[in-house]
Amino acid sequence: MTQLILGQLINGVIVGTLYGIVAAGITLTFGITGIVNFALGAFMTLGAYMSWYLTDRVGLAFPLAVVLSLLATMVAGVVADQALFRHTRNNLINGLLVSIGLISVMEAGILMTWTATPQEMHFVLPGVLQVGGLVVPKMKGLVALILLAVVLGTYAALTRTWIGRAAFAYAQNPEAARLMGVRTRLLQSGVFVYSVGLAGLGGALYASLYSIDAGFGGTYVLKGIEAAILAGIGSVGGALIGGILLGVAEAIGSIFLPAAYKDAYGLVTLVLILLLKPAGLFGDRK
Amino acid sequence: MRALQVLAGLLLLLLPQVVRSDFVLTIFIFTFILGVAAVSFNLIFGFTGQLSMFHAAAFGISAYVTQISMTRFAIPFWGSLGCAVLFVLVVSMIIGTICFRYRLKEFYFAVVTLAFAEMARLVVLNWNSVTNGSLGIALIDKPKLWLPGLGEFTLAGTSTWYYVGLTSLAFTLFVCRRVLNSWVGRCFGAIRLNDELASTLGINVFRYKLLAFAIGNAFAALAGVLYAWYIGYLEPDYLSIPQSLAFISMVLLGGSGSVVGPVVGALVLTALPHIIQLSAEARVMTYGAVLIFTILLLPKGIWGTAAVLLKRLPIAGRAKAAKSSAPSVELR
Repeated sequence: MTQLILGQLINGVIVGTLYGIVAAGITLTFGITGIVNFALGAFMTLGAYMSWYLTDRVGLAFPLAVVLSLLATMVAGVVADQALFRHTRNNLINGLLVSIGLISVMEAGILMTWTATPQEMHFVLPGVLQVGGLVVPKMKGLVALILLAVVLGTYAALTRTWIGRAAFAYAQNPEAARLMGVRTRLLQSGVFVYSVGLAGLGGALYASLYSIDAGFGGTYVLKGIEAAILAGIGSVGGALIGGILLGVAEAIGSIFLPAAYKDAYGLVTLVLILLLKPAGLFGDRK
Repeated sequence: MRALQVLAGLLLLLLPQVVRSDFVLTIFIFTFILGVAAVSFNLIFGFTGQLSMFHAAAFGISAYVTQISMTRFAIPFWGSLGCAVLFVLVVSMIIGTICFRYRLKEFYFAVVTLAFAEMARLVVLNWNSVTNGSLGIALIDKPKLWLPGLGEFTLAGTSTWYYVGLTSLAFTLFVCRRVLNSWVGRCFGAIRLNDELASTLGINVFRYKLLAFAIGNAFAALAGVLYAWYIGYLEPDYLSIPQSLAFISMVLLGGSGSVVGPVVGALVLTALPHIIQLSAEARVMTYGAVLIFTILLLPKGIWGTAAVLLKRLPIAGRAKAAKSSAPSVELR
């Protein structure tokens, strides 16, 4: 039993880092630019399909494929930002609805390009790590580490660099930030594209672990939102912790509670946290 | 304007006598039924300013409740429909109370209603013994309806459904218009424009938001039951996010500023896939593209834009101008 629980704990952490990276994207765009981008899930799916296609069909090395898919999603992000979200900057609901519309368009596009058959990438890095009787596939461990590093790097960049200060300044008072010489339009687009890139990277790595289909990103964006709200909007480090908490709760929960309702735990948590502690676990402002 | 409405109503009433094509009438039946859902969604979204993601859930839950109460408790269709609407009302009161009591707004309101809708979908999907899970339920028995004056008749056949749909839509439009033209509607408008200001003016924001949410969901419940029995099939996808998205698209495309607008949106979005043969993916893509296109380029929707254009015509100009001087225009 302990074996099972520990195994699920590790699984939960790994899935949780994936939730965390989407959550970081959600929290960045919402916390800094005030755009809720539900389409992050679709960008994640896009990244996953790109990396699967480039590795399995084109035959590129996996790391190269990941970098290329990351670039491809970011280009898609630039297009989406300039064509659509640039026009919804000051209207939260419109931006939200545009992003929902974008999900339909992107998912349908992916379905038409790559059909509805779930795809599975061949093993990129076979083999397992044995830690005291526990078996963790090497690839899962590696992916979790990369994602952890990326989120922590983002956190460091936000707290320690000039860009991060500019972003916080912008989040608190856009007008004042502009007067202090922050190039606000570039910042808005930059944050948007960066968060899309995070989702794309998450997706590209996801493809090496699980089978992918056109709709999986939708689940992840919901989890990402749950994790981001759980942590408190605006907290990037918190988003990662929120994601891991959510992943672990689901994994452990499905041992003791019916697994069919796994997706409901996060939803219940989300509602409770919004009612009882709307600032989230790590948020300092309401 | 009133004359135009009466004329349009008469034309719609006589349509099945003139047009015999099932193809055309089917489009209208879908438009009427989905129009009920879209118009009622607009009451919550367009007029009160709350982006509810629960509409498809209300739509689907009521269809399931009706089915259950008919087969398990042998309650006739009429009564089951009543039970379903009542059930949805209670559920929306609970959810609305939670959301509005804690003053959830905009994104947070959308997310929490979405969470409740997803929970409802998960229950429907996994409660196999009652809902038959993802396989859904075929509704083979045509419901019987008893109406004073008409006696009992079976809900089957295109023209019967046409009139049932038309009556439901007319009823919905009538109730929504009455609500919106009363002081209740003024309160909705005040809340949409600025709910903090509304509350300082003495409007009980909580109560009116809850009222809008409950009325809207009750009509969604009606639409869900009609839709399920017209199609003859029930599945958990009724409660899905894309279904909510369809209602949102209808409202925005038709125009969220008027009571009738969403019906136009429903007509266009139901007619499009029927007229142009589209694969399922292409249809989803069209819905998404239409949604984006409307928000960015046609924020008033078809009906709203048409009204603006009509105003510029010299004939309608005077009557319109007289009307627009009334202060109520601000609040819709």
